[in-house]
Amino acid sequence: MADTYSNRSGKSIYAAMSKAVSIAKKDAKIYYFKPQILGFGILIPAFVYLSFSLGREISSDLLIPGLVGMVSLFGASSVEAISITIERQTETYELLQIAPVSTTTIIFGKSLASSAFGIMLSIITAIGAALLSGGRIANPFLFLVAIVVGAFAFSALGMLFAAAAKDMPTANMSLTALRLPMIFIGGVFIPIQALPFQLRVISYLTPLTYMIDALREAMMVPSIQFTIDLAVLLVWVVVLQAVAVIVLNKNTQF
Amino acid sequence: MENAIEVTDLTKHYSNVTAVDGVTFGVARGEFYGLLGPNGAGKTTTIRMLTGLTEPSSGTAKVAGRDCTREALAVKQRIGVVSEVSNLYNEMSAWDNLMFIGELYGVNKLTRETRAKQLLEAFQLHDRRNDHLLGYSKGMKRRVRIAAALLHRPEVLFLDEPTSGLDVQSSRLIRSIIGELNGEGVTVFLTTHYIDEADQLCDRIAIIRQGKIVVESSPEKLKTSLQGERVVEVAFDRDALNLENLLRSRLDIRDIAKRGTKYEMHVSDAGNTIAEVAQLARQNGLKIVSLNTKEPSLEDVFVRYTGLDAVQVERMEFLRAVKGGDQHG
Repeated sequence: MADTYSNRSGKSIYAAMSKAVSIAKKDAKIYYFKPQILGFGILIPAFVYLSFSLGREISSDLLIPGLVGMVSLFGASSVEAISITIERQTETYELLQIAPVSTTTIIFGKSLASSAFGIMLSIITAIGAALLSGGRIANPFLFLVAIVVGAFAFSALGMLFAAAAKDMPTANMSLTALRLPMIFIGGVFIPIQALPFQLRVISYLTPLTYMIDALREAMMVPSIQFTIDLAVLLVWVVVLQAVAVIVLNKNTQF
Repeated sequence: MENAIEVTDLTKHYSNVTAVDGVTFGVARGEFYGLLGPNGAGKTTTIRMLTGLTEPSSGTAKVAGRDCTREALAVKQRIGVVSEVSNLYNEMSAWDNLMFIGELYGVNKLTRETRAKQLLEAFQLHDRRNDHLLGYSKGMKRRVRIAAALLHRPEVLFLDEPTSGLDVQSSRLIRSIIGELNGEGVTVFLTTHYIDEADQLCDRIAIIRQGKIVVESSPEKLKTSLQGERVVEVAFDRDALNLENLLRSRLDIRDIAKRGTKYEMHVSDAGNTIAEVAQLARQNGLKIVSLNTKEPSLEDVFVRYTGLDAVQVERMEFLRAVKGGDQHG
């Protein structure tokens, strides 16, 4: 009996995963090249970084994690925010609701697509920044792990904003209003230790801080701090996804 | 045998509004069931509850033997749903849309490719299967949407205004394929504003008004339910001043409407009405060009039970046709 149950639940987990992957492939095909993604996901972080780094001497151990964290934040959250708001507006989201797919699977599928986008951008950025600055990543595997977990956290953040907003401009503007201050207090340009006490406290409440810290740890010889950063990021992923499921269910039931 | 759809005391409240109010009905397996009603009567809310998109405030609904609230995913696996809007991905081709939807229903690759080919051929879209939907007309998109709803071979098919605003060719093709499917044993639940469509396709019809089912029967029985009522149509060689009021004052008529050059009157005594019309024509120097009597139509039944008059129904259908006219993109 227990075996049958475990087989059945194993099958249903496999079926749900397979549907999530289908949703992710579809999202990648439709949304990766949307102008809004290029604008909010790539151009804004590029301009922000250039405006703060040009003419300044920045060491590679500050430059690479900061740049990668910012690109991941904007890239992963934008795909999620844009795909879900467009689908709600065009009513294609209803196509997913009509199908035998749970909201959790839909959200997971969408977060796979947006996280993959953030991961790809982050890897390209890390390689480019390392080549240009001559920096060296001591532990590439842990660096990649931090990129993956961070991208999932930011995609869940995008999902939550998209689930709560009534349309795409509202989701993007409110998300940008959160993302920009996160950059300044998350250790992208200024090390956390150099921040005033109050800002330092706030910075510990944002996922970007932990991702950048984990990336910096992976650039050197990682300490226990890397595990702590990763654990906090995973908590962010679970909490943000769970809240997004609740909010999306509430806002898409009529 | 258990019904394909079993609804008991289904109710949905939205803050202060009751959209569906204690509705109870059953649809047998293989039956073609129509739900008619004016805008805002509760048709779409009923469909949304039956398809697991909206949770009822109270009452129960079972589709294909599963509870729509507690076993929503199991219900969704067994049904096909075509909503009023053609909500497919315009950035993808018809083929890719069907493949994606097939994956969501767990249809294996070989089966979904075989079925997609068959369906696109049946809906006369196979030649355009690789074109993005952005370039499709509304009728073509709706055909793809219905094909998508059929890919996993549903036991019950829900159609919400499937031919609304479509060109004649698409509408006829859709009706014909839906009719064939029903003939093969698929249970069909249809909501439509096109009364003729319901008359032509449905085994049974329910009329819903203000969230309540006011009558339910076969189209023929509904028509005969207006017992003793006849429709007299008369056209004169010219229009006289206040002719409608004159007819209304002289005759015992329940309802009168001018349709083109004809006056359509709903009466209880057709013979007496004809005699009176002839006399009225003589007295006013009018010549009768045509005079017909006929049985009440399903539209007359709809008018009677919804409280809308025939002109309102016509206006409603005209506005819907204009608003939803065939368009690209």
